Amino acid sequence: MSATKDTYPEEMGPATPMHYITQLLSQIYLSINGPQHAEEHDLLVNNALDRILEMPNSLNESGRIVSEDDCVIKIMRTLNSKPSPNGNREELPGNVFLKTYTQFLKLKTDEKRREAVMNFLLDILESSYLHPTTIRPNRKVGLPLVPDLKLPSPDEKQEDPRYMMSGGQRGGPEATDNLKEVLSERLTGSYAHSQQQQQKEQDQQQQQQQQQQENGTSYSYDPNLSSAGLGQDQMPNYTEDLQSEKYVDESLDMVTNALFSFTGIQGKYLRKDVITGRFKLDTTNIKLLTTGDAGLMLRLSELGYYHDRVTEYADPSKGYSALGCMGQALTCFLRKELGDYHGEVSLLHDQVNAFKKAQRKSSFSPREAEWQDGQQEQVTLFKLLAWYIKPLHRMQWLTKIAHACMMKKGGELISVVWEFLDDGNPAVDKLAHDLLAAMCRPLTRMISQWMLEGNITDIHSEFFVEALTDVGPDRLWHDKFRLRIPMLPKFISQELADKILRTGKSINFLREVCEKNDLVNDQGELKKIMESNAGDIFSYTQDTKWHAAIEICYQTTSKSVLDYMVGPHKLLDHLQCMRRYLLLGQGDFVSVFIEHMKDELEKPGTEIFAHDLSAMLDTSLRCTNAQYDDPEILNHLDVVAQKPLMGDKGWDIVSLQYVVQGPLATMLEPTMCTYKALFKPLWRIKHMEFVLSTKIWKEQMTNGKKLRKMSAEISRASYRLHLFTSEIMHFIHQMQYYVLFEVIECNWVNLQGHMYHATGLDEILNAHESFLDDITVGCFINSTADKERHLETVFENIIALEIWQASFYKECFKEQSAREELEKKIAESEREGRFGLTTEEKMERDQERKMFEQKVIIACRGLEGISCSYEKAVSGFMMGLNSSDDPQLQLFGTRLDFNEFYKKRDKNLSKPLTFEHLRMSNVYNSNKNNAIGSRFVINSQASSSSSPAM
Amino acid sequence: MPSEIITLQLGQCGNQIGFEFWKRLCLEHGISPSGVLEDFATDGMDRKDVFFYQADDDHYIPRAVLLDLEPRVINTIMGSPYAKLYNPENVYLSKHGGGAGNNWASGYSQGDKLQEEIFDIIDREADGSDSLEGFILCHSIAGGTGSGMGSFIMERLADRYPKKLIQTFSVFPNQDEISDVVVQPYNSLLTLRRLTSAADSVVVLDNTALNRIACDRLHIQNPSFSQINNLVSTIMSVSTTTLRYPSYMNNNLIGLMAPLIPTPQLHFLMTGYTPLTSDSDVNNQQAVNIRKTTVLDVMRRLLQPKNMMVSTGPDKTNHHCYISILNIIQGEVDPSQVHKSLQRIRDRKMAQFIPWGPTSIQVALSRSSPYVQSNHRVSGLMLANHTSICSLFERALNQYDKLRKRGAFLDQFRREDIFKDDLTELDESRETVDSLVQEYEAATRSDYMQFSFKRAPGEAKSEDAKAAGDH
Repeated sequence: MSATKDTYPEEMGPATPMHYITQLLSQIYLSINGPQHAEEHDLLVNNALDRILEMPNSLNESGRIVSEDDCVIKIMRTLNSKPSPNGNREELPGNVFLKTYTQFLKLKTDEKRREAVMNFLLDILESSYLHPTTIRPNRKVGLPLVPDLKLPSPDEKQEDPRYMMSGGQRGGPEATDNLKEVLSERLTGSYAHSQQQQQKEQDQQQQQQQQQQENGTSYSYDPNLSSAGLGQDQMPNYTEDLQSEKYVDESLDMVTNALFSFTGIQGKYLRKDVITGRFKLDTTNIKLLTTGDAGLMLRLSELGYYHDRVTEYADPSKGYSALGCMGQALTCFLRKELGDYHGEVSLLHDQVNAFKKAQRKSSFSPREAEWQDGQQEQVTLFKLLAWYIKPLHRMQWLTKIAHACMMKKGGELISVVWEFLDDGNPAVDKLAHDLLAAMCRPLTRMISQWMLEGNITDIHSEFFVEALTDVGPDRLWHDKFRLRIPMLPKFISQELADKILRTGKSINFLREVCEKNDLVNDQGELKKIMESNAGDIFSYTQDTKWHAAIEICYQTTSKSVLDYMVGPHKLLDHLQCMRRYLLLGQGDFVSVFIEHMKDELEKPGTEIFAHDLSAMLDTSLRCTNAQYDDPEILNHLDVVAQKPLMGDKGWDIVSLQYVVQGPLATMLEPTMCTYKALFKPLWRIKHMEFVLSTKIWKEQMTNGKKLRKMSAEISRASYRLHLFTSEIMHFIHQMQYYVLFEVIECNWVNLQGHMYHATGLDEILNAHESFLDDITVGCFINSTADKERHLETVFENIIALEIWQASFYKECFKEQSAREELEKKIAESEREGRFGLTTEEKMERDQERKMFEQKVIIACRGLEGISCSYEKAVSGFMMGLNSSDDPQLQLFGTRLDFNEFYKKRDKNLSKPLTFEHLRMSNVYNSNKNNAIGSRFVINSQASSSSSPAM
Repeated sequence: MPSEIITLQLGQCGNQIGFEFWKRLCLEHGISPSGVLEDFATDGMDRKDVFFYQADDDHYIPRAVLLDLEPRVINTIMGSPYAKLYNPENVYLSKHGGGAGNNWASGYSQGDKLQEEIFDIIDREADGSDSLEGFILCHSIAGGTGSGMGSFIMERLADRYPKKLIQTFSVFPNQDEISDVVVQPYNSLLTLRRLTSAADSVVVLDNTALNRIACDRLHIQNPSFSQINNLVSTIMSVSTTTLRYPSYMNNNLIGLMAPLIPTPQLHFLMTGYTPLTSDSDVNNQQAVNIRKTTVLDVMRRLLQPKNMMVSTGPDKTNHHCYISILNIIQGEVDPSQVHKSLQRIRDRKMAQFIPWGPTSIQVALSRSSPYVQSNHRVSGLMLANHTSICSLFERALNQYDKLRKRGAFLDQFRREDIFKDDLTELDESRETVDSLVQEYEAATRSDYMQFSFKRAPGEAKSEDAKAAGDH
């Protein structure tokens, strides 16, 4: 291949034969096509030049070798036969050609090569005259497109990934390099100084030529030389075989173009629309194509469009790609797909090349061509059409998926891809499946890391569990970790996600709060299963290895947390303790506590000191059954006094609290405020019970014995008092029974059931929370509602009764002692022999007695007042219960009125609470003059204090 | 220790039922007859300190005072394995040992004479408790010691401990058999007066009904004292179960009594218990049937008169009614069943209640002792304040009137100080009991509120009458 070396230089010297050949070619083309666009011109010249460079052998081996001189003469003749473009003033093209040729001769070149070149030139000239319009002879390789040629900066080439990707199809790096050199020579006008062994004798001419080149233009042709009418001239006919060759070349050209378009490269016929990015037919070259071919080309180019789109989505710098780790997985997958695709295209390309090569050979020796035809099948547009369906679909789906994934990340991204799963088309299903499996790999890794180590490595915040960094360990269990719902893949159910969340949470909890580090043992095994079975994660049936591993991990972890909390930390005992002390389940303790504290509790709030209280709490604990409780647990119990407001008594500010630390605090702290809120009404009821039984009732019983002598005078008041007391007593006891037993105890039994059967800590905590919720509803906590207001009035009346009773009995005792005094005096005087009393004393005594009687009457009225307001409040409360939506409360209402006493007293309560009734009562409320309206007075007063009493 | 209760056992009957009661408590709390806590009972969540005090770590001594004027019963007790249970200082036997001769007046006088020694014991016992809540008195009303001395002690207790509650378990004599104690009507009436005026709450244990129940329900032909006493001790122990096994409510005596007793006079409580079995009955077919009890069954049966342990006689006018009810339910109870049962009882109007105030069946779910195996899934005790109890007092009045009319057997009463001058004590007692009967009758009517005016019409001032009329 020594000949090749000559015409295939790595670098061109200042006066290389190549330069002259280029010039010659340029002139020939000018003369053939006349003046034309510089780019077009360059293209032609380059093509030809390429041909020479590439196929020196074929030039040499071509059959019809004419001697060099003959060639030159023929060329000159042909050229000169054309009319001079600018009249006579200028030299004929032939002469110009000759001039260049002589300069070329001065270079020392191989004669045979020169001869071959000349032959080639002649060949071009002749063939161009045969088909002046369709001249693109001997275009061999898909050379870079015009825009590429214009910007052949090597830097840009490297930057543009399309170069890298489609590099395999670009006709080889060498070809590109050569072109670059030629172009850079022409554009810059400078020549790389390099060796080129022969042709030194023509140095001078070469210099001149170079000068000429530089002085002329950057264009490689002289417009003056072009003849305008040259292209339109009818050329003489040539041989048929040449025609067939042209046809093959042409179709190959289209095929190559189509192949280029497959990889998103513009070609002669197919150009990209700037806006849509779709391929369209080049307007200038459209006339070269038949309608059918054009259609085919357009159809084929669609693949290129989708290829471009996929490329675009696969390029993170473009901003269309998906984000995060899973986005990277997607991008990677897309690139791999593109790589495979490019491989297929390049195979096609090879086929075309091979065929072309064979074709060219056949143009020189038909026999060989025949043989080669057997080897090389021609690639036609139709064949491409048949081939392109599959990749097109794939690219379309990839585009579709990638488009849907655009700018998404994490679970959202995966969910989007998951939607594509289960396509009826098995290919698509497979594609989505593979893609999803690839994308799930980072996810499974994150899950396994989270579930086994409790860590979140999630720089893109795409994991569906998120940790709030500003939440301290005290709220670790409840608030620190939460699900990032948008990031939750659709194929992971909420339940599963909760499990995953809980597992990691548990591990964090154990490690950070419990400071316990010996976690799950068989981590390695689980980790392997969890990370290697990424595809299982979106399986429909949740019985895969992956799911099993998750389940195992969840269960072992929650069990260890549960064991830890229930075991060393005695969670259940603590709950039990809170139920018994904070919710007053331990009745004896509460009564003893109150008994111990009663003096303190009666004091004004400002005189209460917490340290006294805690001493009393300790005493109370010691002398009840609480002493047998675990002291460790009792230590958590504390009594506090809130900051007193004006008029608050000890009763109002003292409360029991539960102090929790460490892991327990993490678990129970959020419920503490509920307990606080619950304690208040319970404490209030206990307070009332205490006042009622220990003060009011007991006083009545014991004073009744003492005041028996006066019973006749005070019986009216005292009977009223007894009955009123028993009425209140019944109410308070029923109330307390309802709250403590029906609400708390019944729910507690439920909770206990949950607690003992719980498999996870959250189960217990959830059950506990719902337990508290239920109790909160049942305990009449909401102080704004009607019922609670009435209840408060009831309580106030009890206190009023206590005060009333105290003053009543004080009067009674005063009177009694006065009488005793008198009797004693009488007895004494009798003993002393004096008789009885003075009139004044008797008068005074009678006066006092009368006054006492008067006082009793007044006291009776006071009692009536209290009982009246009490009755109203109770009726209002009953009304509230009966009209409540909660069946529990309705039942409580009926049970409170077990013997229908209230119903008889207040007819309003017996009315069924129908819509009619409600409507009517509203009417009556607004129309007070109505006689029947009186039946609704209590109701209306209950609902609006402004309504006048009857 | 808080809310302690001191038990006083008076006389033959009182000591017998008291003894049964303590035996039962020991069994339930896992305390051996010698007062030592059994090994299996060390971690109990029961509250022993209400009825016992702790001598040392595992030695429990009952807060019981045993009083009698004759040595027979106490000697039996001291000869039993339980002898070491009691604090010997708390056992008081009259030195002359002649007993009260079934004479109330004799018992009362002896009580007066011996009061210093007796109250030494009681005071010491009261001082030994942190916050004494009250006394429980076990006695019969028919004999001499329990009724006479019991009456005296009750009066003294009310004076001495005005702020403490006095509850009695009073055994009423069997009406079905002719008593060998001829002065029984006098004794009963005199005791009833003290029960009305001095006691805060009286649990009536009617021997008539107990015998009848033993015959009819337990199928015992001739019930022995011990079998009857077994019933009594069951009632006594169950009625105190909420004190000993505290839960959310009714954990002290006052909490138990206050809701039951609306006015100071109406404090005579009936009891009912179901299901009933005797020891011999356990293996019977019937016992098996009884075991399948539900809360509703228990509560329904408790409302049946035949299960009441007070023989009130047929209520001809059908006007008697419940003033209040407390059901203490023990056993495996689903809490939600309780209010369903209550609702059923209310809907079917199974019980008649007073018309003058709100009332209902209160329920206390109580734990029961883990050391005593119960044959029944659910058992229940009813403490009820029912107006028909007055028929018992009416009967006592009738019998008294019969004797009093003839002036029979009054001599032995006149021998004692209290009746030395006249028999006004008897007349006053009759008046008190009569007014009690009146009050119970009045409580069946809706105008009970006006009862006070009727009772003292002469003394009611015109203003009051006017005010009442206004009202």
